[in-house]
Amino acid sequence: MTKKEVLLKIENLNLHFKIRVGDVRAVDGVNFELYKNEAVVILGESGCGKTSLAKAILRLLPNNVKTYDGKVTLKGVETMEMDDELYRNEIRWNKISMVPQSAMTSLNPVLKVGNQVAEPLTIKGMDKKEALEKVREMFKHVGVPEDFINRYAFELSGGMTQRVAIAMALITVPDLIILDEPTSALDVLTQANIMNLLKRIKKEEDASYMLVTHDIATSSELADRVIVMYAGQIIEASEAELFFKKPLHPYSKKLMASVPKLRGTDELEFIEGKPPSLIGIDKVAGCRFAPRCAYKMEKCEVEAPPVYIKGDNKVKCWLYENKDEVD
Amino acid sequence: MGEQVQTPAAKIKKKKRDTAFTRVMKYTGVRLIALFLTVAIGVYLTIMIANMGGYVDEIMKGSIRENITMQLRMDDGYQEMAPEAKAAYLLAKIENEEKRLGLDEPFIFRSFRFLLNALKLDLGQATFMSSDKGSRSVRLIILERLPSTLLLMGTANLVLFFVTIVVALILSRKYGSFWDRFFVAASPLSAMPSWFYGIFFILIFAAVLKIFPFGGMIGSPPPETTGQYILDVLYHLTLPAAALIISAFPARVYNWRTFFMIYSSEDYVEMAKAKGLSAKRIRNRYILRPTLPMIITSFSLMIIAMWTGAIITETVFRWPGIGRLIFRAIGMNDTAVIVGTTIIYAYMLAATVFFLDFIYALVDPRVKIGGSKQKQ
Repeated sequence: MTKKEVLLKIENLNLHFKIRVGDVRAVDGVNFELYKNEAVVILGESGCGKTSLAKAILRLLPNNVKTYDGKVTLKGVETMEMDDELYRNEIRWNKISMVPQSAMTSLNPVLKVGNQVAEPLTIKGMDKKEALEKVREMFKHVGVPEDFINRYAFELSGGMTQRVAIAMALITVPDLIILDEPTSALDVLTQANIMNLLKRIKKEEDASYMLVTHDIATSSELADRVIVMYAGQIIEASEAELFFKKPLHPYSKKLMASVPKLRGTDELEFIEGKPPSLIGIDKVAGCRFAPRCAYKMEKCEVEAPPVYIKGDNKVKCWLYENKDEVD
Repeated sequence: MGEQVQTPAAKIKKKKRDTAFTRVMKYTGVRLIALFLTVAIGVYLTIMIANMGGYVDEIMKGSIRENITMQLRMDDGYQEMAPEAKAAYLLAKIENEEKRLGLDEPFIFRSFRFLLNALKLDLGQATFMSSDKGSRSVRLIILERLPSTLLLMGTANLVLFFVTIVVALILSRKYGSFWDRFFVAASPLSAMPSWFYGIFFILIFAAVLKIFPFGGMIGSPPPETTGQYILDVLYHLTLPAAALIISAFPARVYNWRTFFMIYSSEDYVEMAKAKGLSAKRIRNRYILRPTLPMIITSFSLMIIAMWTGAIITETVFRWPGIGRLIFRAIGMNDTAVIVGTTIIYAYMLAATVFFLDFIYALVDPRVKIGGSKQKQ
């Protein structure tokens, strides 16, 4: 493999919310790197902090933020130190854009979709006609009929709005596109269409993706690398091929075992219990997955495991303290 | 045929336009009839209630009999008549007076004639009340009071409307801030009606501090120059307008702030933020624009609500407006005045509702006039 260029580097990122009963540590000391033209999939159950991670990177914060710190470096530029106005002008949509979970509700119902897609260009001073011409090209590129620029979101189908959202994310040619469960609201055929479109764009445009999802099967189409989040932390980061064959962390194993296979005879597994509440999770001394883990050792309850590096992969689990392999 | 041949696409387009036109016309017709019937029923109910279902007739008959008896007691000629002649004369006089007022007909017939006249905007004559210039015409009585009510209600409502929306927009972005919590906590204060605040204001600013007048619209004697006249009216306007504004203010702010907060949490607002749009652009295009139908509705209802005035507040401040007129008309059982103010309000409300439908269709692409409910 050629030497990979680091596009996004995240170091010790924290995003904690304050609610009445305590602090929600949605993103709790997250570290990872994303390379150019790479698709990283962030996997995890609902409520594990993966969407918060996406929002923390784009600085889309709610009102009740308690802590928001760490280091985010995009193409060598430290973005956490920018003030809001600079960040808005420099980073949002110029460098990082986003495809939302539900494109239908993410489009303004009373503005024509063409104008909305053109908006990131026009606010930077591009002539409206010229911008709309670009939108037409982009629509053609993502498979939306050109004359749809004069339609409203409610006049489009679910798949079409998702394509419009993708066109909107691509219009400024950003370095990184964050895909927040882009296909979870669609039927399987449309999902496949959208995934193929994303793959094609990645190839043609040299795009880099951060795909946030809980849909393991669909994400395997696109993933170069898989990051598994649990209780606000990254517990595994593996090359996709390795991960889908043989995940390292006990939690990842369980996750993979819960995906239905076409001809499998195995019964589908599920993980007993539920993810821990993110409120006061810092008071848990041991591994956050320990209460649900089948491989639990005494040590797991006492001390949080460090991150072990196994070749290209990283895993946060005591099982890898001495051994090289675990079945 | 020949040149008449159209491409299929053009045909479809033409057909579409035709159906759209007939659809709108049909909708308009049905809507107008329905609104007219609603107005008619509303006004008829007002006529029945204002007349207490005909009981006002009995009251009037009683007072006629009493008045005439009193009159005749002073009449020397009458006193010298024979007893039978006396009774016949009295009855004839009473009958004559009842006929003059139309009381000889059964109320149910008259109620429909009232309705017809009201619907034709023929407001008729007041029974007891008169305008300051001495006219009994209900139209003149109402017109005389209208400017002062519009001045008071217009000032209060316009200030309320725009200031509360601006304050609410600011608060909706500062959830949980001091002022946000302040208005949430203060909103129950609006449960106290404006006249209640009015009484307090009169007590504090007129009675104790003596910086504002107790009531009325103009000092006595009235100032001579126009400039001074305007200043004096504003001086008298301050307390009642303040009472109206302050009593409604916290609840309105709370209302709008919650409304804007709901619409600010829409996915497309967050998307707009992610797109790097400025706060001003997000506010105008992503919050105000989608909520425009609701804001217009609120505004137009406010405009017509000015018409009825503030009944008790105007009375407390002795403000010579429609509200006080209605108050007095109810007290005096002057049904013509009550029905007159009601029918004008009913027509204005119906017209507003009618035009709002078209305005919705103009400002919101999702609304189609007379269109079937389709959601994709």
